[in-house]
Amino acid sequence: MNEQRRAEQRVRRLVEAARRIADPGDALGREARRVLPAATGLSAEGVELALGRSLETEPSDAEIEALLASVPAAPRAHVLLSANVFVAAHRAVALALAASSTVEVRPSRREPSMVRLLARGAPDLFRVVEELEPAPGDHFWAYGSDETMTAIGRSLPHGVCFHAHGGGIGAVALDLRATSDERVAELAAAVADDVVLFDQRGCLSPRVVVVVGSEAVTRGFAAALAAALAALSVRVPRGLLGRAEAADAVRYRDAIRFAAELLAAGPGWVGVDVHAGPVVVAPVGRHVHVMRAEDASVALSPLRRAMAALAIDGDPDWARVIRQEFAGARISPPGRMQRPPFDGAVDRRTPAVIT
Amino acid sequence: MTALSESEALHVRVRAFARGALAGERAPESFDELAVAIAAHQARSVPGFRRLVEASGATLTDGGAIPAVPVDAFRLARVAAHPPELDAARFLTSGTTTSTPGRHAMRTTGTYRELSLAWGARALVRPPATRVVVALAPPPGPEPSSSLAFMMRAFMEAFDGRPLEATAAGTFDPLATGRWLASPRGIDVDGLARALEIARRRSEPALVLATGFALVLLLDALGSRSLPAPPGSVVMTTGGFKGKTREIAPAELARQVARALALDERSVVGEYGMTELTSQLYEGTLPGGGLHGRRGLFVPPPWLRVTAVDPETLLPVARGQVGIARFVDLGNVDSAVAIVTQDEIRNEADGIELLGRRRGSPARGCSLAIEEMVLGARSP
Repeated sequence: MNEQRRAEQRVRRLVEAARRIADPGDALGREARRVLPAATGLSAEGVELALGRSLETEPSDAEIEALLASVPAAPRAHVLLSANVFVAAHRAVALALAASSTVEVRPSRREPSMVRLLARGAPDLFRVVEELEPAPGDHFWAYGSDETMTAIGRSLPHGVCFHAHGGGIGAVALDLRATSDERVAELAAAVADDVVLFDQRGCLSPRVVVVVGSEAVTRGFAAALAAALAALSVRVPRGLLGRAEAADAVRYRDAIRFAAELLAAGPGWVGVDVHAGPVVVAPVGRHVHVMRAEDASVALSPLRRAMAALAIDGDPDWARVIRQEFAGARISPPGRMQRPPFDGAVDRRTPAVIT
Repeated sequence: MTALSESEALHVRVRAFARGALAGERAPESFDELAVAIAAHQARSVPGFRRLVEASGATLTDGGAIPAVPVDAFRLARVAAHPPELDAARFLTSGTTTSTPGRHAMRTTGTYRELSLAWGARALVRPPATRVVVALAPPPGPEPSSSLAFMMRAFMEAFDGRPLEATAAGTFDPLATGRWLASPRGIDVDGLARALEIARRRSEPALVLATGFALVLLLDALGSRSLPAPPGSVVMTTGGFKGKTREIAPAELARQVARALALDERSVVGEYGMTELTSQLYEGTLPGGGLHGRRGLFVPPPWLRVTAVDPETLLPVARGQVGIARFVDLGNVDSAVAIVTQDEIRNEADGIELLGRRRGSPARGCSLAIEEMVLGARSP
């Protein structure tokens, strides 16, 4: 058996473990549902939604092939995980397993549960450790804030290949110039789906929507989005916000109430700016800033470096231009932002570097 | 009464309040009465503020209950009770490389000037009556867009007011290049030496106005040299190091500046101001000055109330606890009398301690921490 085939088997064993975690009838699935709400701060329904929608349990052969091809072979692979999006541990470990038969993972101290569940579901496939000790020639994947990435980059020994995945956000660009009311409502519901997953804490979560269209259609979309978020919050209640998150929400609420229009959206807020003001990044916790713009590329350009995911819907020629402008981001239709193909890292912005 | 005449009357009342408070006279009206009157004026003229009032359910009967406008609003919208054509000045915040600057429009700069001078004199000025005033800042131009530059210019006029060069004839020129001693090339050390020499020849002290970063540049330019200032000289230092490559803690900066200029360390006085405010706070370290307090404690004037509030509830925290700064500034007659910042402070008996900016929430995962909520420029 060649190394490529062995790597594929390792990844498929991990996917099988993920499948058990997603299954509420499996002991591992029951354990996941017991521990993850407290570990993540999500509601039980939020955990269930994430397990059902975003945990990759049925990747296609083509996706696995692409995932295997997306990483170089490594003598040893090290993974430092972040908190927030608990299912991300699955893809992160899969990438490391695609690269090496020797994988060590340090979970986030705040949310160590998911990777431990994966390790239980796929025993002896990788090691969960308290400290990572990479050596020259090893590959090191890290997920977290930009500050964390900078600090790690400085601390790694020379000769380690560093795959840094820092902070990012998601955005949505909609061309609603010739869109029916029904389609506007569909799009709002799709964006709401993307927002609600993980209570918007992931780098794929949309926090800004740019609308190309009239003031009326922008307000109509925002109202539909607020209604969709409110309805979803009944079915999938928001979990607990941290103090800083709650403070950011208050800051956003009052600034937008002063400067633009503010709509209640269940536990969160939708801000609406129809006057083409500067782009505002809503805080996490199910808040979305909807802004009208003549040119979506210009409006979103300040977010170019930070944008990990962009959902686009509209005229095909217009969409092509936006896609080209933000080629570094994961592009998807609204409603699919949190379910990128299992074909490599979700964050495609930063190339690996040798320290 | 029109909005304009109402504003004019409020400015008169604020200035009278300030004069009375500084003179130790019995005030004709209380801080709260005046704050509430200004808030009512703004609620009538500023739709965004009216929305905040309505949403909060505030009855505007108590200065502490006035809804505070987040400083972000100054970057998102016009915060003014008067139309743009009546702007006497538009001061811009510094912003960052990726964020939109804020704008504080003033219908009149008279109150800003009077209040700045009054509290600045308390903090920075002591006998003799005259001094040579220079700024380690670029020349602001005839219509400064920086509120700090406006204030520096006012200090030059009020605390000096004479031609800088001994040989120069004629009237005071606040834009004389010899007074503005910074440029994109750095600090004009020779110019500073010249100004200090002029002060020495006049047997006067100097007042050097500078940002913290300009003082760092001065220290770098001086290296191991010193540039002794005349006895009794004072340095006002303000501002942080946002976006700069080098940072020195305020106390250490004061120590190094004092050594470089041969000053008493207590004569390096910290100022805290914001474009969104009309009023300033100062450290009360200057021996013989009008304010008293230790290094790191900033003393507000009687017309400015600063409260540490919980960032989630916006209610005051207990004395000694950390909160974000809520200002009620009677000088902000035509903008927002109550504002809330993201600066963390601690209220103490005689002033506030500045602790830096509150960190945004998600420094804990892959969701980006947006320190600057408002990004980019307005769309064309």
